[in-house]
Amino acid sequence: MPLSDILARAAGLASEAGSGALKQLQHVRLPGVGQASATDDPQTAARRWRAVTVLTDPDQLRSATPAPLTRFGDRVEIRVTPAPGGRGAELAARFREPVGEDDLGELRSALRETKQRTETGEVLRNEPQPHGHRAQTPQGKALDGMDERAAKEGVL
Amino acid sequence: MKAATWTGVNEVSVEEVPEPTLLNDHDVILKVTQSVTCGSDLHLLGGYIPFMRAGDVLGHEFIGEIVEAGPAVRHRKVGDRVVGAPFAACGNCWYCKQEEYSLCDNGNANPGITEGLWGQSPGGCLGYSHAMGGYAGSHAEYIRVPYGDVGTFVVPEGIDDTRALFASDAASTGWMGADLAGTKPGDVVAVWGAGGVGQMAARAAMLLGAEQVFVVDRVPERLQQVREHVGAEAIDYSSTDVLAELRERTGGRGPDVCIEAVGMEAHSSGAAGVYDQVKQQLRLQTDRPTALREAVMACRKGGSLFTLGVFAAMVDKFPLGAVMNKGLTLRGAQVHAQRYIPELLERMERGELTTEHLATHVMPLSEAPRGYQMFKDKEDGCVRAVFTPGS
Repeated sequence: MPLSDILARAAGLASEAGSGALKQLQHVRLPGVGQASATDDPQTAARRWRAVTVLTDPDQLRSATPAPLTRFGDRVEIRVTPAPGGRGAELAARFREPVGEDDLGELRSALRETKQRTETGEVLRNEPQPHGHRAQTPQGKALDGMDERAAKEGVL
Repeated sequence: MKAATWTGVNEVSVEEVPEPTLLNDHDVILKVTQSVTCGSDLHLLGGYIPFMRAGDVLGHEFIGEIVEAGPAVRHRKVGDRVVGAPFAACGNCWYCKQEEYSLCDNGNANPGITEGLWGQSPGGCLGYSHAMGGYAGSHAEYIRVPYGDVGTFVVPEGIDDTRALFASDAASTGWMGADLAGTKPGDVVAVWGAGGVGQMAARAAMLLGAEQVFVVDRVPERLQQVREHVGAEAIDYSSTDVLAELRERTGGRGPDVCIEAVGMEAHSSGAAGVYDQVKQQLRLQTDRPTALREAVMACRKGGSLFTLGVFAAMVDKFPLGAVMNKGLTLRGAQVHAQRYIPELLERMERGELTTEHLATHVMPLSEAPRGYQMFKDKEDGCVRAVFTPGS
């Protein structure tokens, strides 16, 4: 295999490792890190309500399924309740059947997108950004992998 | 365009990078006139916050002129001279409505990283790593500012660029510390760190009515600035016992308000300093809280303590027993600049708040690597290195 192919393969593996590391970070239970992460088994994780609080009238979210959530169709249940203390509405969703990490990531991303669209009218972008030369180091590629996955991860 | 980028641990380069473009309808693009180094950049530079990618543009404290505005921008226009807030904040979420702008729910495009680290994601900070959103920074000829109506402030004509520049971060961070720590008339306030933020915290405490203000540091030029430009009392920790000194000067009580403006790379000449250095280098703790510990021990019973210095993760030997048993209030935050910049600009215009002395070294952007080196080493009395991309 040519050296360039070997390097490209190594960079790809590093990127996957970064993405995987970010997934794992959510499950780490070391003192001081990831304390809010869920350690549910896959079945429980799929059925757990995942919620964002949106500063809006709950009726606005009840009137129709928010656009980012429509792609899940009947696979998810959606619940909208008033948030206490004038914080708006709690928008929650969960899968009806067990699903994998990728589906959960999609749901996290859709809930965040719904919140942003409702509160600001758009989804904040961070690409493309000006940057200088990106050295193709394993650490750099691992960070690229994390970056790519970041909108779909977290404790939501 | 030219930009100063992070290219590796303790490496800054000036590179040719693409110009920013409007990515969202609420964005503005600024032509940067001045952008300044911040102590918190040194944590990025040194690799203590391991979410920097080679080629990332540094800088989050800046002033410039709007050259482009997105179609949803209502209150800013091309040609406005504005100072920018470091944190991207939407202005519409519950946190922004509470004026806690650095906690904005919609400001960080990479929430998964910080949620994993801290349980919740704060807002995004320009030029401050992929954990904080991955936005390009201000050490460049142009910068994109998300939510331009919320994140930029028109500078009154009577204030020159260099004074207004520090409203962006140093002055707003300092003011926030004194304000949110609850400083009130008659208080005794002690500030750890005589860099830009520490000096501004001390000045804010004085303007909020504190009767006595102390600033602790060891760098002679900075302590001299505290006396000359801030009007506070300076304590050199390399030549005296800070705790004894503060007790002696406060009738044995200790300060009512303690503000820590040092952060995760605190220096100490004593055994505690060596201990923290060793533990950090062995990765047994991520941050060195030497100044924070001292502040906890110095604070009077029932007093208030605010940490302005940036911490990333975990510290060791934190005197939680003292916090609890002395009934202290401990608080911290990244800067809610949008909350304070309007008032600071008014005070700057009236001459109550001067900041120009912080800009000890002004240089073209092409000299950014030298500027950071001087700033890091505190060489030639460097308090802040200011870059002028247009020159």
